[in-house]
Amino acid sequence: MISLSDFKHEHPKASIAVSIKELGLTYKTSIEKKPTLKARIKTLGRGKKHTRIVRAVDGISLDIHYGSVLGVIGSNGAGKSTLMRVISGIIPPTEGRVDVYGSVSTLLALGVGFNPSMTGRENVYLGGLAAGMTEAEIDENFEAIADFSELGESIDAPMRTYSSGMYARLAFSVAAIVEPDILIIDEALSTGDAKFKEKSLNRVKELRSADRALILVSHALATIEDVCNEVIWLNKGKLMARGNPAEVIAEYQKFMNVRKSASSDEDV
Amino acid sequence: MSEPLVTYLPFKAGLPPMGTYLRSLLKRRAFISEFARSELRNQNYGSVFGQLWLVLNPLLLSAVYFLLIYVIGGSSDSTRFAHLTASLFLFYLVANSLTGGVKAITSGQRLILNTSFPRIMLPLSAVVIAFLKFLPTLVVAFVIHAVVGLSYSWQMLWAIPILTIALLLATGLAILFSCINVYFRDISSILPYLTRSLLYLSPILYEASSVSDSIKQFQIVNPIFYLLDSWSRVMVHAQAPELFSLVHAFSFAFMIFVIGTYFFLSRERDFAVRL
Repeated sequence: MISLSDFKHEHPKASIAVSIKELGLTYKTSIEKKPTLKARIKTLGRGKKHTRIVRAVDGISLDIHYGSVLGVIGSNGAGKSTLMRVISGIIPPTEGRVDVYGSVSTLLALGVGFNPSMTGRENVYLGGLAAGMTEAEIDENFEAIADFSELGESIDAPMRTYSSGMYARLAFSVAAIVEPDILIIDEALSTGDAKFKEKSLNRVKELRSADRALILVSHALATIEDVCNEVIWLNKGKLMARGNPAEVIAEYQKFMNVRKSASSDEDV
Repeated sequence: MSEPLVTYLPFKAGLPPMGTYLRSLLKRRAFISEFARSELRNQNYGSVFGQLWLVLNPLLLSAVYFLLIYVIGGSSDSTRFAHLTASLFLFYLVANSLTGGVKAITSGQRLILNTSFPRIMLPLSAVVIAFLKFLPTLVVAFVIHAVVGLSYSWQMLWAIPILTIALLLATGLAILFSCINVYFRDISSILPYLTRSLLYLSPILYEASSVSDSIKQFQIVNPIFYLLDSWSRVMVHAQAPELFSLVHAFSFAFMIFVIGTYFFLSRERDFAVRL
């Protein structure tokens, strides 16, 4: 398990940050309509298993280079978050391999607030410590995180009292203030009010640099098109397209039969 | 092209590279203490007495047993009172580790699904929480020892190795059960009955010497029988423990620790997909 603070080296532009080869990941899920003991006893010994195998990620090969900002798009359940979890070493792949050449943001935004009865401050510290940062490093960044989130005194209130917007603001702040070599921002971008959205978008633009790889997972297609220089489109675990943002997004929209309507544009 | 920093390959049941694992665990030791402190603060969050409950709990518990033994039982056996409280406090160290540990992984779901860290930190934190709860009870036990006027001797220093064995056992149980609970969730519902049975089967409400021989022979399979017997001998009677008791307690603790840790470490990469 690598930690955020282990490596902070210079990365030559366009060298590989993450290399994914023939990656596959399967889940087994139970699909019993009524997951009761009775149903389980009935099927016992008949060899009939009520499980379905889900291929969350299916044969993806991909290189992500330093200096690039990669957008990941796809419908719900396309395998975007799963792919991010494999890259950060949270879920082991079922097949294939992933080589990572740098420190990954091991704290995905959604991990913040894992314990709702603890305060925002405690959650930020615990999340950071779990991700391998030292207390001093978190101390150093904490003010910036708290400021960026604009939570004010609420940072010391239990997170169960937070509104969903406050939750998301804190999550984004943690992800965006800590500066790993490979930064993954998963769905945390399109949250909060208009002002915060703009602020977070600006922060992402600031973070673009030659020796960092940024991976943005979002449904906010306009943002992706604006910020990213490369986009991949996932559908049912498969890599459908990769390349120029405008082209891939257009292809995706055509596939999804989503017209460039107000609702998808607004989602910045 | 430089070497990759880290490579993720398909999951195989087996131990992770131990050196890297331990280094990464050691690096995150601050998490364990911070987590334990936050958790304790939160358990009493919003109550008037707050953290004082850590001392009030054992005091009230001993008050209840005072009522039972002296007032209702009409006995004036001060040794029995000291034995009961001291044994109960050590029992709660093990039982609290177990009940905290069993849900450590399943309730840490959000963190596990979004952060990469040595999962064993979560059951370890449960043990630290139980130990922090145990410390004030130790003070209460010494106060009771003084108040009822029991004797002291250097033999009481045996409490240190016995406590170490108890912690090893508590750690092993917390790790083992947190892992079992990932695959077999029913265990967390069965657990309260298991600990309750263990409470009655162990020399807490009675002294080990008062157990008949026919029953005592079965106690060889009770991992905490001889541990608690040694504890009472040392803490209450100020005598040295029997060698057999120490060996028995240590063997069980060591065995459970090794089995639990092996089981946990070889499966932990699989937890994220099971939650």
